[in-house]
Amino acid sequence: MSIMDHNGGSVIAMAGKDCVAIASDLRLGAGAQTIAMNFEKVFPVTDRLYMGLPGLATDVITLREKFRYLTNMFHIKESRPLQPSTFAHLLSSTLYERRFGPYFCEPVLAGLELTPSGTYQPYIAGTDLIGCLNFAKDFIVAGTASDKLFGVAEGLWEPDLGPEDLFETISQTLLNSVDRDAYSGWGAIVHVITADKVVTRTLKGRMD
Amino acid sequence: MNSFATKFSPTDADIELRRAQEIAEEEGMSDVMWGSEAGFGNLVNGHAFNIPSVPDPSSFLRLHTDDHADPNCKIKIQHGTTTLAFRFQGGVIVAVDSRATAGSYIASGTVKKVIEINPYLLGTMAGGAADCQYWETYLGIQCRLHELRNKERISVAAASKYLSNLVYGYKGMGLSMGTMICGWDKTGPAVFYVDSDGTRLKGDLFSVGSGSTFAYGVLDQGYRWDLTDAEAQELGRRSIYAAGHRDAFSGNTCNLYHVKEDGWKFIGNYDITKMHYDGPGEVAGAPGGGYGYDVRTQGRFSALAPTVPA
Amino acid sequence: MPDMSVLAGPQQHQFNPYAENGGTILAIAGADFTVVAGDTRQSEGYSIQTRYAPKVFRLTDRAVLAVNGFAADGNMFVKKVKQRLEWYRHAHAKDMPLRAIARLIQTMLYAQRFFPYYVYNILGGIEEDGSGAVYSFDPVGSYEREACRAAGAAQSLVQPFLDNQIYFKNQTAAPGQSHPTHLPLSDVLSIVIDSFTSATERHIEVGDGLEIYIVLAKGRSLQGVEGLRGLREMSSREDGERVFVLQRELKKD
Repeated sequence: MSIMDHNGGSVIAMAGKDCVAIASDLRLGAGAQTIAMNFEKVFPVTDRLYMGLPGLATDVITLREKFRYLTNMFHIKESRPLQPSTFAHLLSSTLYERRFGPYFCEPVLAGLELTPSGTYQPYIAGTDLIGCLNFAKDFIVAGTASDKLFGVAEGLWEPDLGPEDLFETISQTLLNSVDRDAYSGWGAIVHVITADKVVTRTLKGRMD
Repeated sequence: MNSFATKFSPTDADIELRRAQEIAEEEGMSDVMWGSEAGFGNLVNGHAFNIPSVPDPSSFLRLHTDDHADPNCKIKIQHGTTTLAFRFQGGVIVAVDSRATAGSYIASGTVKKVIEINPYLLGTMAGGAADCQYWETYLGIQCRLHELRNKERISVAAASKYLSNLVYGYKGMGLSMGTMICGWDKTGPAVFYVDSDGTRLKGDLFSVGSGSTFAYGVLDQGYRWDLTDAEAQELGRRSIYAAGHRDAFSGNTCNLYHVKEDGWKFIGNYDITKMHYDGPGEVAGAPGGGYGYDVRTQGRFSALAPTVPA
Repeated sequence: MPDMSVLAGPQQHQFNPYAENGGTILAIAGADFTVVAGDTRQSEGYSIQTRYAPKVFRLTDRAVLAVNGFAADGNMFVKKVKQRLEWYRHAHAKDMPLRAIARLIQTMLYAQRFFPYYVYNILGGIEEDGSGAVYSFDPVGSYEREACRAAGAAQSLVQPFLDNQIYFKNQTAAPGQSHPTHLPLSDVLSIVIDSFTSATERHIEVGDGLEIYIVLAKGRSLQGVEGLRGLREMSSREDGERVFVLQRELKKD
C-alpha cells in the first residue's frame, strides 16, 4: 500500500457561476482500521479561499500550520489581500522546496479571485505532491477516491451552476464516489464560497 | 518393418483413439460435458483442472493473482470480509457482511457470503469468492448423494470433513478459503471452521476475515450459552455492525441466518449505515435507536458538545 | 581479459502469458429488457492496437456476453461458451436458459482455476420469467445476479455514477414519493451513453466506438427502439426475445 493511501481521504473542488465549492470526507484511518470520523481536510486560507489537503495525515497537519504561518507573514509584510492565484504559486514553490523528500499531500484550492473590474471570478486549482500546478475550469479531485471522483464529476458537473445547484452537485459527486472507496467516507463536509459569504454544511454519509 | 516391434506396439487404431482422447481432454471436451453432471463434469473423469505447463504452477498462480505480494498484478482475487457464527442454546447464528473489495475499490456491496448448501447446512465465505462458491456448491452435491446412498442426512462433522479433506488435496496450490460450516444434526447445533490450509476446528464461536477482530470484541463480551433467540440475533447483527463501521474492507449490509432443529431460516438483510443512525428497525432483540457512538452519546454530556461550524 | 564469471549469475525467465487490453464494459437490467454495452478500443500500454474490436457478443436470442481484460483469453472464452451452447442445442433442441448459462460460465472459468482466463465477464439477457437480468463474474468464476454492473479499465469511474443514477444512491425521494425500481429503456440508454462519454474523457484506454446490445423480453412492444439511429437486429426470429445492437462513435483521441 502506498503511503498516500495509509490514512485515506479525498477532496474535490468545483467551479460554478460566481461561486466555487470544495468538499472533503471525514475519515482518518491507519490502513484498514478507521481511527476517527471527524478529520476535516479542508481549511480556510482567506475569507474567499479554501485549501483541501488529502494525503498523509501528519503532513496534512504540518502543511496546514505551515501555510497558516506563510499567509500570516504575507499579510504582515504586504498588508494587501492574498489572491488565490498568488497563493497557488506560494503553494507550488513551497512544495517544490521538498522536491526530493516531499510532503505526501496533493493540495486542492478553491476560491474567488478579485478582477481589476472589482468583481469576483471563480478560481480552482490543484497540484501534485511536488507542486506542479493544474488549473481547471470545471473541477479538481484528489485523494484515494480520485478516479471515482473523476468519473462521477464528469457525469454530473455542468457549467454555470448557482450556489445551491453547485452544492447539490459536489455533494452527490463526493458521497457516491467515497461509497466505492474503502479508504474514504464516514461523513463529509462541504464549503460553498460566494462573494459575500461561505456556507459550510456537514453531510450525513455512509458510516462503513 | 520390424514385426516384433509392431506386435508389442499399439495398433494404429489404438494410437488414433488415444490421440483423440488426449486432444479431447486437453481441450476440456470429455464425454461428460454432453450429459448432465450439474456442470461439474470436469471433476468426474479424475483429471480435473488445467494446470499451466511451468516447473512450479503454484508460484505461477501466485505471481498473477496474489495482490498482497504485488498490488499491480492483473488478476485480483477478492479479499476483505467479516463473517461470524456461534452456537448457543437456541441453535446457530450466522451473520456476515456483504462487501467485496479489489484493492481499495469496493467491487460490490451486495455479495451473498452465506452459501446455502442445503436446507440444513450453511457455509460462510471468506477469502477467494470463487473457491468458496464452487466448492460449497460441490459439497452440496456430495451431501445429497450421501442422503440418497445412506437414507440419512449427513452430519455437520462429516460434511465439514469432506470439504476439509477436499481442499487439503489442493494444499499449496493457491486455494484461499476460510469458511464456517454450520448446521443442525443428531448431535444438535454444530459449527466447524474449515480453511484452505486444511485446518478443521469444532467450536462454539468463530469469526473470520479482516473485520473479525472488531466482531470478536462485541461477540465475546455479549456471548452466553443461554442467550434467547432474539438476544442472539441482535448480538450477531451488532457484531457485524461493529466490524463494518471500523474495518474499511467490511460493510454495506449484514445478512443474518438462524439455524434451528428444522433447518436454517433467513432472518434479514440490514444496512450497516441504517443501523448506525437509526438501528436495525422493528426487530426482536434490538434496543431501539442507532448503534453509532455519536448517535448514542450526542448531548448526553458536556465534554463533547456538538460543534457548529461557522 | 576481465573476469566475466561474476556476471554469469542465474538467468531467470518469467512465463507471462497475460496482457491487459483496456476497455470497459457495462450492463443494466430493466423490468423486461437488458442493455449490455462495451467500447471498441483495444490497447496495450499507450498503443492502440485497433479502434474496432468488439467486446460484446450475442450468445442466443436472450443472452449477451461482454468480456473484458485480456482480449486473446476473452475471444477464446467466448468461442468455447458458444460451442457449449451449440452442443446444448443439439442435445435438448432449445436454447439454454440464462441462469444455466451463468452456471456454465462459472464452471468453465473455475476449470481454469490454476491457469485462469484473465477475463471479467458480464452476462446480460432475459430470464425464463421474462425479467431482465445481469450476471457478473470474476476471472475464476464467482458470480452473482445484479441489476447493473460496470467492469474493466474505467469501472471505478463508471460504477459510482451508475450507483447514483440507477440505484438513486444518496438521493432522497420527495416526501410521499419513491424512486422507481426499474428505469424505462430510453433513460437507461442515455445513462449508458453518458457513462461512456465520461469514461472516454478521463480514461486513455476507453474510446473510439461504442456497441450497445439491447435484449427485449418476448412480447414486449418495440416502443421507441425501432426509431434509433444505427440500429441492427441480431435475433433469429421476431416472435421470441429480440436482440438489437446500437452503434455510436466515441472520441478517438
